[in-house]
Amino acid sequence: MKKYQLGEFEEIVLLTVGVLYNEAYGVAIKQEIENRLKRKVSVGAMQSALRRMEKKGFIDSRLGEVNKLRGGKPKRYFTITAYGRDALRHSQDVRTSLWNDIPKVALDI
Amino acid sequence: MIKSIADAIFRWYCHPDYYPDIQGDLEELYAGHLRNNRSFPQVKYCIDVLLLFRPSLIRPLFKDSNSNTIAMFQNYFKISLRALARHKMFTTINVIGLAIGLTSFLLINEYIRFEKSYDSIHKDSDQLHRVSYLRLNQGGQVIDKDAMASYLTGNVLKKELPEVLNYTVTKKFDEVTIRSGQNLFKENGIISADSNFLELFTYEVIYGSKETMFNEPWSLVMTQSRAKAYFGDINPVGETLQVLAPYKAELKVTGVIEDIPDNTHYSFDMLFSDKTLEDGDDYGNWDYNNYYVFLKLVQDTDLVSFTDKANAVFRKFDDNESRKLDVHPVRDIYLKSDFTFEPQVLGSEKIVNFLVIISVFILVVAWVNYVNLSTAIALERAREVGLRKVVGAFKYQLVIQFLCEAFLINFIGACVAFLATELLVPFFNQLIGKTIIVHAWSHLPLIYTLVVFFLLGTFVSGFYPALVLSGFKPIAVLKGKFQNSRGGILTRKVLVVFQFTVSVILIAGTVIVYQQLNYMQTADIGISVDKVIHIQRPNSNAETDEEHEAFISRFDAFKDKLRNHSAILAVGGTSNLPGGDATDINSTTTRTRIIGLTERMDGTTYIQYNDDHFLDAVGMKLVAGRDFDREIRSDSAAVMVNEAYLRRFNLPSLEVAVGETLQFGETEDKGKRKIVGVVKDYNRTTLKSQIEPTVYMPWMNANALVIKFSDTQAIDFVEETWASYFPDVPYGYSFLSERFAKLYEQEERFGNTFLVFAGMAVIIALLGLYGLASFISIQRSKEVGVRKVLGASQGQIIYLFYTYFFKLIGVAAILGIPLIYFLMSSWLDNYAYRIDFPWFISLGALIIVGLLAFFTVAHQTSKVARLNAAHILRSE
Repeated sequence: MKKYQLGEFEEIVLLTVGVLYNEAYGVAIKQEIENRLKRKVSVGAMQSALRRMEKKGFIDSRLGEVNKLRGGKPKRYFTITAYGRDALRHSQDVRTSLWNDIPKVALDI
Repeated sequence: MIKSIADAIFRWYCHPDYYPDIQGDLEELYAGHLRNNRSFPQVKYCIDVLLLFRPSLIRPLFKDSNSNTIAMFQNYFKISLRALARHKMFTTINVIGLAIGLTSFLLINEYIRFEKSYDSIHKDSDQLHRVSYLRLNQGGQVIDKDAMASYLTGNVLKKELPEVLNYTVTKKFDEVTIRSGQNLFKENGIISADSNFLELFTYEVIYGSKETMFNEPWSLVMTQSRAKAYFGDINPVGETLQVLAPYKAELKVTGVIEDIPDNTHYSFDMLFSDKTLEDGDDYGNWDYNNYYVFLKLVQDTDLVSFTDKANAVFRKFDDNESRKLDVHPVRDIYLKSDFTFEPQVLGSEKIVNFLVIISVFILVVAWVNYVNLSTAIALERAREVGLRKVVGAFKYQLVIQFLCEAFLINFIGACVAFLATELLVPFFNQLIGKTIIVHAWSHLPLIYTLVVFFLLGTFVSGFYPALVLSGFKPIAVLKGKFQNSRGGILTRKVLVVFQFTVSVILIAGTVIVYQQLNYMQTADIGISVDKVIHIQRPNSNAETDEEHEAFISRFDAFKDKLRNHSAILAVGGTSNLPGGDATDINSTTTRTRIIGLTERMDGTTYIQYNDDHFLDAVGMKLVAGRDFDREIRSDSAAVMVNEAYLRRFNLPSLEVAVGETLQFGETEDKGKRKIVGVVKDYNRTTLKSQIEPTVYMPWMNANALVIKFSDTQAIDFVEETWASYFPDVPYGYSFLSERFAKLYEQEERFGNTFLVFAGMAVIIALLGLYGLASFISIQRSKEVGVRKVLGASQGQIIYLFYTYFFKLIGVAAILGIPLIYFLMSSWLDNYAYRIDFPWFISLGALIIVGLLAFFTVAHQTSKVARLNAAHILRSE
């Protein structure tokens, strides 16, 4: 049974939400990912990942202050929940154990 | 601007909870783009909006997704989908059946719509009427209906009656040969038109002036496609063309109009100005009915009283009590006219009605499948229904649930039908022989019909099963004591009988249509058209008598040259080739008598002109007297008559007429002609019409040549000879048998259409039968097990199942055969010469249906019969 349903892109978004702690809202997350991964992220893909994870319970959100720059629309800040943290840990553990089990020879290319 | 539109769209589809902050993000990004002077920030905004269209972000389909009703509907659909997925055969059979049914229905419906649309494209087409002549006998009964009227009719009615807003008088020409540069064109679609013509028939004028284009004699207006054939894409107004035959004249093109659509009863390619005819002898004469007279009447004119008024006016000019006017709407002509001398072959209301019946049959058979199969699997749904009731479902909720299922199946069926219609449209056009629609998807009326009948189908087919299924008593069902109700089984039997009856009727109908067609094509029509070709005599175009003489002797020499060839048996001439349509003949309605033998008698007398070799060329037989003889001088005033003509007078024998004098008209010393011979009746035109009472007059230079040959090398010889005698005239020949074949095109199409759709109905019915047989065999498998344990053989089990179905077929036979008789006799009554009602064919149809049913059920029955009783009964 799959315990945590966490896609690759979702994982990156989730990690970024963690990195930006308390400052994680749409544009910030998008720019952070773009800076770190050196790739374009569409608002659609990112928002859809965020809402999916919110539904699954990996993140929480709260509405923030209204800003003139944003045409009077509030920001929505995301934070990782305990369940989200477990999902990230699980994902990291799986990877680590995989890393550990690779015979040295295999990477000695 | 783009941005605000994109935003509006985004606001529309985005989940309302997410909208503010995401839109805020977009604004912020947009502001960032602006600040950094990035190119096309608005476009980027739009792209982002497009990419935001994702399932997880869009607004939910139902506004209030918390409502219980909505949730229940979602649940119904989910359950329905699962039920359909579980009963794969049930679903497949129903979808295929409904798709075939709806497709057939849609196509036929489009055809009917087309047939009913004739002459309705004109502005105020409901105000257009035609004036025609009725011939009355002395008792005042109508004996003849002639679509044409005399030239003066229109003008006089317009002057005398205020109801007439406008009128036009037009005439149809025979074939005209036109020369354009080096090219010769034979035009068959030329009519005359006055300046009112385009006011009534509102075809769009492309070049030229509507007001003046018909002012001069020899003005020519052509349709766009003819203009293209003559002049290419240029504006041809002002160009000239030569008419070679039947007149010699120069035509001036004065206008081009749009192409005439298929759905008019009076189609044409070219219009000659009406002024061209002014010197014709029928122009100012009440006695020549050579024109079609159309009136535009004031809206909602009462036709009965208007016709009376028109007749009162008519009486002032024509005191002949034997004829009167008839006024009828132009839109009714195509389907309803029973007049002779119509300008072209018309449609048949009967055929349209037949097709309506067939299309409804097919659709209902498909609906019946759904009803039958869904009640047959009721047993399997009974537990579900019981449980739902136990946990509190109301009956109406269950009805809705089962209607949902019907909706889904009908919906899938409708989608498949729409696709199939789109794909089949070209084939259907071919079958019908007309371009009725080009695409299904761009034809709105078709889509409306589809939606209406899909919804209707959902309710008609879904309602009864929904009632039955939702009516189960939960206690009985859950105790496991559930049985299919007697009423339900009876209903199913009735429906199966209905399907079989329809199948039997349609199969028998198809065969009868083909039989009649075959009969007409192979019947002995009294002449032989095999190995006969016909060509058109060149036109003399002589201006002086000497020239004319020279031409005639050249023509005679040409005929003699042909007759000398060993493979040519006869060369005859006639004014009206056999195998023409009903209007392709001359006629007179004056009274005639045989002096000394009979009184003057009413009735249309048809007149054909022949030379002295015509009888030999087509194998017509003399029953008394002799043929014309060009050596006998007095024969120029002789006539031959046919048996049908003499029958009018009730003579003691045909021979007594020979040598007597026939007289046309009432004037004592005029119209006298000596009868030299009596010819055997032959069918000049289709077997739909009776043989016409005909008088044959001599015309040694008749314009249509018929050449009877024994070997095909004769055909080449005729062409060579033609080229040496008439090098300037284009040569063309065709077979007389082809003329006759063409007469039955409409019947042949009807036969093919009938065949295709009867086939569809039978396929649907058999699909249903297959499904029903399989459900019944599953449900009765326990019974079969017990029977086997008690010693029944496989044969007995199979017998058991077959008797069940064959009883139903028996009932269908008892119901079907009288219906076939009733329907098909009324169709056969259209034909003056028809086959007797073929009882054995109805039996044959029954046997076919029986056999088809036998093979359909065979698989299921033998499967049940071979079942191992131990396996079936193990669970008890």
